[in-house]
Amino acid sequence: MTQATNEVRSGSGVVATARRRRKKLTFDKVSFMAVFLGLPLVIYLVFVISPFAQAIYYSMTSWGGFDNNMPFVGLDNYVKLFNDDVFMLSVRNSITLAIFLPIVTVILSLVLATLVTIGGSSRGQIKGLKGAGFYRVISFFPYVIPAVVIGIIWAQIFDPRNGLLNGILTAVGLDGFKDYAWLGDARTAMIASMVVIVWGFVGFYMILFIAAIKGIPAETFEAARIDGAGRFRTAISITIPLIRDNIQTAYVYMGILALDAFVYMSVLNSTGGPENSTLVMSQKLFSTAFQKGQFGLACAMGVVLAAITLLFSALVFLVNKITGGSQDVSE
Amino acid sequence: MTIQNKPLQRRGFLRGALATAVLLPVGGALASCAGGGGSTETSKAPAGEVDPTKNPFGLASTGALDAVIFKGGYGIDYVEFAGKILSKNFPDIDVKISPSTDIAQELQPRFAGGTPPDLIDNSGAKSIGFSTILDQLEDLQDVIDANNLEGTKISDTLFAGVLAPGTFDGKLAAINYVLTVYAWWYSASLFKENGWTVPTTWDEALALGAQAKEKGKYLFVWGKEAATYYLTMAIESAIKEGGDEVRLSLENLKPDCWSQPAMQEVLTALEKIVAAGYMMPGGSGTKFTAAQAAWSNDQEGLLYPSGSWIENEMKDQTKEGFEMTGAPVPVVSSSPKIDQKGVRSAGGEPFIVPSKGVNPAAGKELLRTMLSKEAATNFAKEKLAPTVVKGTVPADGFGSTALVSQTTMLENAGKNIFTWNFIDTYGMNADLLVPWNSFLDGKLDVAGLTSAMQKITDNVANDSSVKKIEVK
Repeated sequence: MTQATNEVRSGSGVVATARRRRKKLTFDKVSFMAVFLGLPLVIYLVFVISPFAQAIYYSMTSWGGFDNNMPFVGLDNYVKLFNDDVFMLSVRNSITLAIFLPIVTVILSLVLATLVTIGGSSRGQIKGLKGAGFYRVISFFPYVIPAVVIGIIWAQIFDPRNGLLNGILTAVGLDGFKDYAWLGDARTAMIASMVVIVWGFVGFYMILFIAAIKGIPAETFEAARIDGAGRFRTAISITIPLIRDNIQTAYVYMGILALDAFVYMSVLNSTGGPENSTLVMSQKLFSTAFQKGQFGLACAMGVVLAAITLLFSALVFLVNKITGGSQDVSE
Repeated sequence: MTIQNKPLQRRGFLRGALATAVLLPVGGALASCAGGGGSTETSKAPAGEVDPTKNPFGLASTGALDAVIFKGGYGIDYVEFAGKILSKNFPDIDVKISPSTDIAQELQPRFAGGTPPDLIDNSGAKSIGFSTILDQLEDLQDVIDANNLEGTKISDTLFAGVLAPGTFDGKLAAINYVLTVYAWWYSASLFKENGWTVPTTWDEALALGAQAKEKGKYLFVWGKEAATYYLTMAIESAIKEGGDEVRLSLENLKPDCWSQPAMQEVLTALEKIVAAGYMMPGGSGTKFTAAQAAWSNDQEGLLYPSGSWIENEMKDQTKEGFEMTGAPVPVVSSSPKIDQKGVRSAGGEPFIVPSKGVNPAAGKELLRTMLSKEAATNFAKEKLAPTVVKGTVPADGFGSTALVSQTTMLENAGKNIFTWNFIDTYGMNADLLVPWNSFLDGKLDVAGLTSAMQKITDNVANDSSVKKIEVK
């Protein structure tokens, strides 16, 4: 991080050199720039930027999707969206996911990562719990399974009549859960779906955090222990500040995934769930485009989704900065 | 027509979206080129020699045929069967028949780019809404005016009324190939064993529910993706009770279409059944195939409202000796406007021929081949479902009780065969599922259901960007 500041400082110098050298454009340099700068830029413009720009343009047309007839309607689609109860509900659901999924997943995986790296015996070397390697492997398993399969497995577990969950609950005497439809009741459908997504990702983020924690020199932990810090104190005061960047990245990734959540939600409740309680924006977008043939409107939804995603990332960075993330401790 | 619960493929969607984005400017450029190049492309003269029996559409002897067929409950082998016959008749045509489980997603870029296939089976839960592509489809009147391979005029070989669902604003845009009868289905052996009779009114249905409960069974089962099967049943019952005006009001999305007395009476009767606990609980959290298996395999439910594809769909999960049989859905009173024996029957699997395809004549020729007696009989035999072509099912129904009962129901119904399209035309099924799951779960009353459904239809009716198709 201090390196970064160094670079910035010397930035003006770099620009100056570039300006000085601009006169001598050799074939070597031009061809190098064409291949390594021009080509990727063109690819980026054609495959990333232009679809974005097109989607924004389409969002202002009433294009049906199956022809080339695209009447321009200005911002009508956006007006329509913000007056559409179901779409606004799906926005709310997506935001709910973006709020809770990253928090729960990151905290859970952080706890697990701490346990298997520094949570072990306080004698001798800093190490994780006994059998840490084993836990690491099993908690990574869910991530190896494709999302669709995870959805199908959990849909079976939540099945009201033959599902594992209700089987266990009724077996321990909670008869109120007989035939209870976890995914079919508006009160529980969203929470049940969130549990599935968290279950699928905890292992992955745990591995990510383990790698980060392993990057911290053992001496730091040893010093803390000599100073009398317990495991919890070590985790709060040493580990978290030192892997802050990783946590921020994990948070943003998980948030973006939560704002999408398409595969999980459509496998668990393909139709949007009871009272649309698990309908997310991407599902609504999909059905508007392909089932109703309103691509213009669907593009407008896409633009709104992109705006919310950007806003979310900006918010995470801002919060991190305000809480002191820019003060560098990792050197 | 079976529900495809294939998880949506987002990767494919993204790829498709990307492809579209890339194709569109190209397609647009191409289209403008074609526009500037003159009208030779648009007025395609028959490339081959026109012969009323052998080649009514003037198909060129060489070239290719590109067909995309929805691969659902019926598979695609029945089209391949017809494709083989076509290959025999036109040996130099390169026949390509591809399956698709997601017609709208897969073909959207091709429609937008102006290169659609020659023949499409636009079916499944993810079919293309007809109102969006109507202008780009061939009028198939010349197909039914043509002779079939055996030399009979095709329109004379079809069941009555089967072309209605494919006709939009007077244009025959789709020919539905499979004849579907909507009914409620039951195990004849189970009913016989217990001395039950199939109800013809809703009061009888309620009484049967009580008898079922004594045996520890439920009257109905339902699954979350198929809650609207009960809507289909309710609409059918309401149309029989209140007559054709009920249907027209719904088809044209009238502002009070769900509040019509007949509709309300049926919904109230259903509400009584729900309140009495005669629905198998937990349906809103159960996958529809699991719910259907609880009926066909575990016999926990007595009746299931569905289309006649149900036999084929549950083939592997039906108890031995089940004797699946269909019966027309009940009515409210003893004097309905349309006889209780009336049924909703419609062609399913709509086949369309896009005008912009490379070889529309080949698409039509394949369709004509499929409508031949040979291909239609093959379908009935392989799929245990009748096609829209008459006289292909023998009296024993190839050993299927369901198939025999379909024929019986159609015979008993006589003239009282009807159907409706508005839910599919405007793609409202997904929206309607939500209140129906709540209603069947007992969480929403008739008033709440009515206003929820009215809101959905009103939204479409008031949306000026949605093209309306008036039904008379």
